[in-house]
Amino acid sequence: MSAGKSRRKPLEGVRVADFTWVWAGPFCSLQLAHLGAEVIRVESASRTCVTRLLPPWPDGQPGVNRSGYFNQYNQGKRSLALNLKDPAALEIAKDLVRASDVVVENFASGVIDRMGLGYEACRALKPDVIMISLSGYGATGPESEYVSYGPAQVPLSGFSSVTGYRGWRPMHIGISYGDPTAGLQGAVAVLAALIHRRRTGHGQYIDLSQWESTMALLPEAILAYTMTGRAPERDGNHDVLWAPHAVYRCAGDDRWVSIVVADDAEWRALAGLIDPALVEDTRFATVRARKQNEEVLDELIAAWCTSRTPEEVRDLLQGAGIAAFPAMTNRDLHEDPHLGSRDYFVELPHPEIGARRHMGIPYKLHGTPLRVWRAAPCFGEDTDWVLREVLRYDERRIAELHAAGTLS
Amino acid sequence: MADIDLQSDALAGIRVVECGDFVSASYATKQLADLGAHVIKVEQPGRGDTARRRGPFAGSPDPERSGLFLYLNSNKHGIAVDLERADGREVLARLAASADLLVHNVAPEAIERLGLDDRALRARKPALVVTSISPFGLTGPHRDLRMHDLNLWCAGGVATLNGGGPGSDDMPPLKGFGQQAGFQAGLNAAVGSLGALLSALATGEGQLVEVSVQECLTSILEMTYEFYPYMGLVASRLGQKPIAPLDFLECKDGWIFICCVEEHQWQRFVELAGNPEWATMELFDNRMSRAANWDALNIFLSEYAAGLTVQELYHRAQARRIPFAPVSTMGDLLASEHLKTRGFFAMLDDGNGGTVTMPGAPYRHAATPWRIRKRAPRLGEDTDLILTELGYGASEIAALRAAGAVA
Repeated sequence: MSAGKSRRKPLEGVRVADFTWVWAGPFCSLQLAHLGAEVIRVESASRTCVTRLLPPWPDGQPGVNRSGYFNQYNQGKRSLALNLKDPAALEIAKDLVRASDVVVENFASGVIDRMGLGYEACRALKPDVIMISLSGYGATGPESEYVSYGPAQVPLSGFSSVTGYRGWRPMHIGISYGDPTAGLQGAVAVLAALIHRRRTGHGQYIDLSQWESTMALLPEAILAYTMTGRAPERDGNHDVLWAPHAVYRCAGDDRWVSIVVADDAEWRALAGLIDPALVEDTRFATVRARKQNEEVLDELIAAWCTSRTPEEVRDLLQGAGIAAFPAMTNRDLHEDPHLGSRDYFVELPHPEIGARRHMGIPYKLHGTPLRVWRAAPCFGEDTDWVLREVLRYDERRIAELHAAGTLS
Repeated sequence: MADIDLQSDALAGIRVVECGDFVSASYATKQLADLGAHVIKVEQPGRGDTARRRGPFAGSPDPERSGLFLYLNSNKHGIAVDLERADGREVLARLAASADLLVHNVAPEAIERLGLDDRALRARKPALVVTSISPFGLTGPHRDLRMHDLNLWCAGGVATLNGGGPGSDDMPPLKGFGQQAGFQAGLNAAVGSLGALLSALATGEGQLVEVSVQECLTSILEMTYEFYPYMGLVASRLGQKPIAPLDFLECKDGWIFICCVEEHQWQRFVELAGNPEWATMELFDNRMSRAANWDALNIFLSEYAAGLTVQELYHRAQARRIPFAPVSTMGDLLASEHLKTRGFFAMLDDGNGGTVTMPGAPYRHAATPWRIRKRAPRLGEDTDLILTELGYGASEIAALRAAGAVA
């Protein structure tokens, strides 16, 4: 076996027909692209991906190829424009499925079947195909056809009822947390199915409910209820056992630092930094005592933090072996020397917006290095390439399809 | 290995060793175990996994009855090995040489000391994949900082996106419930590990997979990160949302999340509400003006919601294809007819005469279904069996036990 061959990315040679949109589905296929799959996103001008229509846009100028939202989550994919209302386009989509190993879609349940590209139809075209549907509610059940939006998945899944400040109303998580969670769960499901297929030759269908895949990350609250009959109360950034465990305001404009003390030795170190008299203070001497007196404890630490920057607090506390770190903004991340040192950011040329910085691949495979090979595609950028190189259509046929408006 | 069934378990016959503590590595391998991989969890004798002490507990704390531990470690086998000892590390090395994948979340500075250096492990088994999860990855100035889940949620830039808003701009950035940095890291580690396993299956060559928890979190900031490189803007959780309604309202018996992103959704909601006069006010003309005048709109909407139960408003809205959702309590989730019909929750014998109900399949493979096979291991439950499989004789095992290398 040659050294060159062994450095092939894990999914080189795997083709993905990507009928996804918004965030959950594209985040799933993004992982497959990261691992080396050839991901072909099917897009329609009559149903432009929501993320192409949302900011941020460079210079505030909108444009379907200019959105940072789309460009972050579609790195390394190709774009095939198909007007799926045209029967000729549907035939092209079917040809694509025939040539693919994996089909990913995240329309509401039932939509892909009505388009004629449900699992049975896909399997007829490609017998060992792996197909995953990432819908809000799953493919079965009384609410399966309900409409699901990212921000509503957080409350639906149970997160909001246990997230929030003590005594306040339910709150959000700040992102549509169910979407990336479902996307990653979906990638795990597809990869396992690929291993199964490699060993048995069999494809299969995978039904993923975003609601369910998000609840998989809420076991502490769900189990508290099923084991004790009581769900946890909303309690801000606090922990059930450890204290202090919070985010404190620092010097500066809306600047904050997180501090977590997990045991008594750490507490003594922190107390020594704040006020040596606190080291012997029985109100805080044990983890139980600190939890009981958490309000006073938080006030003391908050008062100490006000005159310091988050970075000063981080350096002082970390120097004493205590977990502390600033609450990073997007600008902080952009300028972070640590992230900058790790070859993590991706800045590849893009025909309309130049080379902008994006977040890269969070798993580094040292033996088969992963690298985003191209910025996110412009709408329909690879239409001709896919028809020619993947589907082997001749130039005349491609020109006719263009003329007929099928490729838009 | 009698139970290898390639047809019905996607990961049948794949052997995984986990040196995980708390959530990230444990969740990474849980996903593989639930799809049929044979996972052996290595714990420190006496102490065991942090999750054993976290609960929730049905009664008084008991390391064999912690809900989080039971959830994260069902379907796994357990061995207790002291990696601080050379003879313990030799046991680990032999165990790793029997495996396809090893996943750990040991701090970078301790990796070599505890016998988890990937080069040394792969020298004995070239096909081994070693996945390392750490707060900041294996290089860079922050590599050795001490971090817990909340610190990581802040380091990844997620915390500053939540909390605040009208009337609460002085409140701190707010985390989501639970150990979410750990879960996200576990998901990414599973993706990277499965990718590397696919390579190893094809080429016989293993490798190191390096996962930085901070990077995992920076990859899920929706569109907020790009506001800086694209527009020079700092994303803030403070102040008014750009569009409305997209908020929580209190009904008769709980909370609902109302969500009208598209104009047609708002129009259908206005119909549902009986075309009230306030809906015709110019203040509420479009989603942007509804956001700008949220304080006024909130009063009308709250009054409307207060007359209905959560389930009434949820199902009536959804019947009109308006994407409202209940703010589900844990009780609501367990009682949901939809989830019951789908059989989502899994029932697990807790090994102590009780049953624990926990979240079930996050995805459903038609041919190789996710399933629970066994409860989580007691600390060191399978030590003898695993050592015997590795070729240790009874007297060697006794000696290791006597020395404290295994338990």
